[in-house]
Amino acid sequence: MTDIKHHAYLFDATRCIDCRACMVACSVENNIEMDKTRIWVAGLGVTGEYPNLQRSTMVYHCMHCEHPDCMSACPVGAYTKAPDGPVSYNPDVCIGCRYCMNACPFGVPHFDYDKGIIDGAFIDKCTFCPQRIYNGQEPACVQTCPTDALEYGDRDELIKRAHERIAAHPDRYINHVYGEHENGGTSYLIISHVPFKDLGLPELPETPINEVSEKVMEMTIPFALSWGAVLTAVTVGVAAYEKKNGKGKAEQTK
Amino acid sequence: MTKTISRRDFLKLGAAGAGALALGSMLPPKVAEAARAAGTIDAEGNGFVHSMCEMCVWRCGLIAKVVNGRVVKLDGNPEHEHSRGNLCPRGQSGLMNTYDPDRVLTPLIRVGKRGEGLFRPASWDEALDLVARNMLAIKEKYGAEAMVFSSTHNLSQPLFENLLYAFGSPNYGTQRSLCFNAMIVSNLMTYGMEEPARIYDDKLKYIILTGRNLLEAISTSETHDLIMAIDRGAKVVYLDPRYTKTASKAAEWLPVKPGMDLAFHLALLHVIIRERLYNRWFVEQHTVGFDELKKEVMRYTPEWAAPLTGISAETITRIAREFAKAAPHALAHNGWRTSNFVNSFHTQRAISILNALVGNWNVTMTAAAEEGAGLGAPPQPPYPRVSALRLDGVPWKYPVVPFKLGVFQELRDNIVKGEPYQAHGWFISRQNPIMSLPDRAKTLEAFGKMDFIVTVDIIMNDTAWFSDVVLPEASYLERYDPLLPVGDKAFIRQPVIEPQGEAKSALWIYKQLGERLGLGDYFQYEDEEDYLRQQLAPLGADLEEVKKKGYAEMPESEHAGFTWNTPSGKIELYSDTLAKVGFPGVPTWEEPPQPKEGQFYLLTGKVAQSTQFGTQNNQLLHKYSDEPRLWMNAKTAASLGLATDDWVEVASEVGQIHIKLLATEAIRPDCVYLTPGYGHLSKGLKTAYGVGASDSVVHVTYTDPISGSQALSQTFVTVRKA
Repeated sequence: MTDIKHHAYLFDATRCIDCRACMVACSVENNIEMDKTRIWVAGLGVTGEYPNLQRSTMVYHCMHCEHPDCMSACPVGAYTKAPDGPVSYNPDVCIGCRYCMNACPFGVPHFDYDKGIIDGAFIDKCTFCPQRIYNGQEPACVQTCPTDALEYGDRDELIKRAHERIAAHPDRYINHVYGEHENGGTSYLIISHVPFKDLGLPELPETPINEVSEKVMEMTIPFALSWGAVLTAVTVGVAAYEKKNGKGKAEQTK
Repeated sequence: MTKTISRRDFLKLGAAGAGALALGSMLPPKVAEAARAAGTIDAEGNGFVHSMCEMCVWRCGLIAKVVNGRVVKLDGNPEHEHSRGNLCPRGQSGLMNTYDPDRVLTPLIRVGKRGEGLFRPASWDEALDLVARNMLAIKEKYGAEAMVFSSTHNLSQPLFENLLYAFGSPNYGTQRSLCFNAMIVSNLMTYGMEEPARIYDDKLKYIILTGRNLLEAISTSETHDLIMAIDRGAKVVYLDPRYTKTASKAAEWLPVKPGMDLAFHLALLHVIIRERLYNRWFVEQHTVGFDELKKEVMRYTPEWAAPLTGISAETITRIAREFAKAAPHALAHNGWRTSNFVNSFHTQRAISILNALVGNWNVTMTAAAEEGAGLGAPPQPPYPRVSALRLDGVPWKYPVVPFKLGVFQELRDNIVKGEPYQAHGWFISRQNPIMSLPDRAKTLEAFGKMDFIVTVDIIMNDTAWFSDVVLPEASYLERYDPLLPVGDKAFIRQPVIEPQGEAKSALWIYKQLGERLGLGDYFQYEDEEDYLRQQLAPLGADLEEVKKKGYAEMPESEHAGFTWNTPSGKIELYSDTLAKVGFPGVPTWEEPPQPKEGQFYLLTGKVAQSTQFGTQNNQLLHKYSDEPRLWMNAKTAASLGLATDDWVEVASEVGQIHIKLLATEAIRPDCVYLTPGYGHLSKGLKTAYGVGASDSVVHVTYTDPISGSQALSQTFVTVRKA
């Protein structure tokens, strides 16, 4: 585990039994309050008609995107993308604007509506268990998983492993590693026997959403400055014109 | 980050959350002294301690993280074969059992009426003296047999058994007849052992699971084994009237009609014998009674089984052929309970025999190691001779049921009847018969017959709620228990933290009580550590080392090879033992009863977030559990005008419950399903009280005459809008 250059998870939906050991482990490890969770079960559950049934569930938590939209949207820099994978959140900086919630295509950041701004900690999400991964342990959810549905390792290696598993059982898996390219890539990778949308995952382009938005955002300052110049010129022009005609004064005295 | 605790939060938050942490931080941390002595916890109360889980009986190895004298996280021990570094949701939530705000932390003596829940705290001396005085009074007045003892499988059970057998009572209730008597008696009759070990090696190709919901009734390592076998391409055929999570991973789900799995298995035997698909060499060398078996199963054709089971003759024939072809890399899993009918013994026998016929022995199944073999034990005198009959009918009514299994529901029934004699006292440890026995009203009636009831538990479970004395046991993270050998290691359960309040280990409680009853010779150990040292003596292992490492090395017991502890020394396809007491020597068709028009089969079964009747008050498990609702097939529900979340009344001949409905496609139209373990009576369980409804209220008592198993699926109910 020492040679992990880029921390990542691999989730195999064919192995997940929805036992929720990961959810309990996360809650205990991170001392999550009883009315919150950082992991949830997504997906359609049981579908079909008796007796032709199928079950699709997925363990869902922060995808630790390579180009995090939460981070792009955050006006105060509360989010950080570590070069080795984890996307972290700093509650001390957060102002509770909830832009990240709107920005995240996976609906991950959760806002605590019960607490006011005074009580702090607005957003709650998976941290990637830095206290564990930087001390030679797997994240709590991965370590406990009784069926190895959750695995942890280097992103490149996990992508390789995912493709190998699909190649070994092409009949079993959909030939795609979700998160390899979606939204510019994520550090939570998923392979599945059912369509990814059945697991509750959005269909996303390979180009990260924020690549577009950031380009636009980059234009903000020049755009604002140029507009400022135009408006200033107009204001100055109008004022000069009014001064010349004495209209401004006349209106003021009315 | 400040945190104000509202009342609601305080109720919701457990010790793992802020509420109890705030409370706990007022007190100096109580560091487990033993762990500190062993060097696993430092002076500040931080460290990692190896121990063993007790959230179910699989007993995974764990490593507890302790910070400032409090357990803050449990991880699976990678060195323990049962956990391999993993823990299931129950194991992960184990620290909430220890820090449950509803823990009983001092001995309690009842002051109100039974069931009122009014107790006063007492000292251990007072409580133990009172228990001993009452037990001795009952013994003097009515004989030792008037004291009933009951306990569920646990590591300190040998000492519990010392208590009851030394006291001189034959009346011993265990959970086994409510769980797996049929499987165990079947294996004893076939293989001469309770439960052969299953082997999921790389070559395993075919697995038949008969109601064994291994992906929800989790045994961590075996659940892992099954998923990995599926991953490697093994085919799983799964029989269950419900589309469980196991069904969703199986290659083939067969929604068999309840109780008819016997017909399915008899037909498999038929095809395998008729088409000569069995391993002839193995059958000749290692089994007896093939001709008798052949004669019996010739009438069980797939065509005969098809209308009974709802599985086509082609499918049955194909599965028989596939299974035989995959053998010996094939496994028919006995399961614990299959569907529980009065014919379950025959179902289990058919499964045991199926494995034998195709020669799976020593490939996918083998002899299990003997529990406790190779370890030392304190010396003790022989037990006194007991001449009184057992109230549970073993062996006078159930001649092949082993004494240590018993027939718990029959014991309860005979307490109510007062036959063959009246019982007057009940000593219960780690068990909740009010919830676990079928027909709760009758169990309460049996309680009413008692002059004295004492319960040992860590929380105010329903049985404790109706007891006269409650003795608080230390939780599994707070105490020592006898060692558990697994493979070539004997694992330790040791205190990760000191017991809270006045809680004490079972080893201590039973010894104290034994001494007060004049039975001190059966408890020849100074304290828990001395008991462990005596266990370790033959291994030459040092206790301090074991505490550090978590286990002692021990010589692995040798596999039996191709010998079996049956009267013939071979695998008995025909059992003379059974025939001699008037039961069929080979598995035989017995048609199970079926529901009348308007009735449903009431099914129960496990979920991954609870164990039996004792974990519903765990706040972490409560948080991640599904709301317990009555499953009903969606189309059936629609035809009855019922929809999800409607309140319904579920009634059997012995009781009725009210519960919300879940209309789902995932169940046969003639069945309804209820998660057991909910509907607690004890108001001392603040998290669990008021949640769901109890299956034991509606379960009718039916007993398999051969194995003594409670036929848990044989209750038929009506369902109507409440």
